[in-house]
Amino acid sequence: MIEKGKIWKFSGVILIVYVIIAGLLIPLKSGIESVEPSYGNAGETLKIQVTGYNTHFKEAGNSLRAWLKWENGKAIAAKEMVALDERRVDLTFSIPNNLPENTEVQAVTLLIDSEADGTSVLPSAIFLTQTEKVLTAEEVQWVKPANFSNNGQITFPFRNILGETIRNTYFHVPLWFGMMFLFLFAVIHSIKYLRKGDAESDLKAEAYTQTGIFYGLLGLITGALWAKNTWGAYWSWDIKQNMTVVALLIYAAYFILRASFEDPEKRARVCAAYGIFAFSTLIPLIYVIPRLTDSLHPGSGGNPAFGSQDLDNTMRMVFYPAVIGFSLFGFWLSSLQFRYLRLQKLREDVD
Amino acid sequence: MKDLHFILLLLRKEFLLEFRTRSAISGIFLYVISTLFVVYETFIKIQPNVWNTLFWIILLFVAVNAMVKSFVQEKGNRVLYYYSLLNPSHVLIAKIVYNTLLLLVLSLLIWGLFIFFGDNPVKDIGLFLFILFLGSFGFSVTFTFLASLVAASNQSSTLLAVLSFPLIIPIILLLVKISAHALRLIQDTAVSGDLAILVAIDLLLCGVALLLFPFIWRD
Repeated sequence: MIEKGKIWKFSGVILIVYVIIAGLLIPLKSGIESVEPSYGNAGETLKIQVTGYNTHFKEAGNSLRAWLKWENGKAIAAKEMVALDERRVDLTFSIPNNLPENTEVQAVTLLIDSEADGTSVLPSAIFLTQTEKVLTAEEVQWVKPANFSNNGQITFPFRNILGETIRNTYFHVPLWFGMMFLFLFAVIHSIKYLRKGDAESDLKAEAYTQTGIFYGLLGLITGALWAKNTWGAYWSWDIKQNMTVVALLIYAAYFILRASFEDPEKRARVCAAYGIFAFSTLIPLIYVIPRLTDSLHPGSGGNPAFGSQDLDNTMRMVFYPAVIGFSLFGFWLSSLQFRYLRLQKLREDVD
Repeated sequence: MKDLHFILLLLRKEFLLEFRTRSAISGIFLYVISTLFVVYETFIKIQPNVWNTLFWIILLFVAVNAMVKSFVQEKGNRVLYYYSLLNPSHVLIAKIVYNTLLLLVLSLLIWGLFIFFGDNPVKDIGLFLFILFLGSFGFSVTFTFLASLVAASNQSSTLLAVLSFPLIIPIILLLVKISAHALRLIQDTAVSGDLAILVAIDLLLCGVALLLFPFIWRD
């Protein structure tokens, strides 16, 4: 049987295993990758080729339906649909002579629905141009897209820029959460040391800080890989990227400070004080400054805020366990590191 | 009232010590003048946006050099005498006030020399003076507290720079942003919000430093 005190360690490992399996194996929902051409004119018969992701256009057969929808809610249905293969379909629309909005260039949303894949949406898929008002009256078949199918599969949402990298949400973000929890525990032990003067608290603070930096580096690496795939470069001089490097520098300085004192008691006191001081600057650094300037990260500079529309319910089922799992695993790593530091200290004392 | 009395006494002590051994303070003044001279020799003409960054970077380096010796004198037998006599918070407050005044004078000197060698790009002088004060106070809190941490180690000046530069980044970013507004390089509509955040960071650091100092002061 598992000892009582070890349950949290096991649950941390089980959660991480669950996150790796579910996070990597659950497929993405089908979506629209690209539309060619992405522009057209009023009054013409527009033939476009749609490339889908994880779609089954051939399999969908007669259940396949497609619409172009304007922002004011008006929509037209596709006149003709030819599935070339599972991922490509040719759609033909008769664009009305009089476009329903008043601007010269109007962006329309493409909707595709089938029993095999459910509904896929691509906003601003096609830009339609109305050069002059054509006054000839015509019968336009305005429709209201409805009766969307639901194929009932468990999927992660498809986001055009993210693609499969959306899975990094379960690793990159929980690692940052874990790092903050670890640094928080380091501060708690530093405070404990200053109050009680117990040498073990000092070692615990050191162990938590070490694992915190380790998590921070992992968070930085996963973030850089994600940035390469979505923003186009490993390093974009984004304010949040810079601030996290600064945070890691602050904690790297902690170890230089540790190394420069001989007397263990003096070292413990100075490092505890520095640890608390550093943590209190971390709050403006990570939460206040990035809000002042534009950032590519979600939650600032016009990007959608994290949590509201970026996570759907399926993602939550993996994301929250990931946060808890990685944090628990970090605590386990820290306790191992603490025991190692304690043994090392004992050996030094014996020598 | 008694607290204030002690703080003023300690402040007086700081001033007296500084003026009796004039070598340290004259060293810092000379440091400022020669830095500025080198800057103008190499840059020749300084654009306002470069001026803005340069000003705060120079002030940062001057602050490190001026503040590293804050606790160097407090060693040996004299410190035992202080322990028995004084409240640590008074010691830290007196040092912070003294260092803030010193930095304020030094920053005015830097500004004056910039004007003397080149011209004055600052458009909103009131705002600039205000952030000179907030900047001096923030630098003084951070550097004084960290100087007290590293005073016992034998390579304190390198250590102080390593420890303080990452910690000072939130303050210096805000200072550069607000002073860009004072130079009319950008139109910052949220300048009062930025000022509020700067004051909040200054006070937060000051509070934490005051809480922690008693633990490191006593050996």
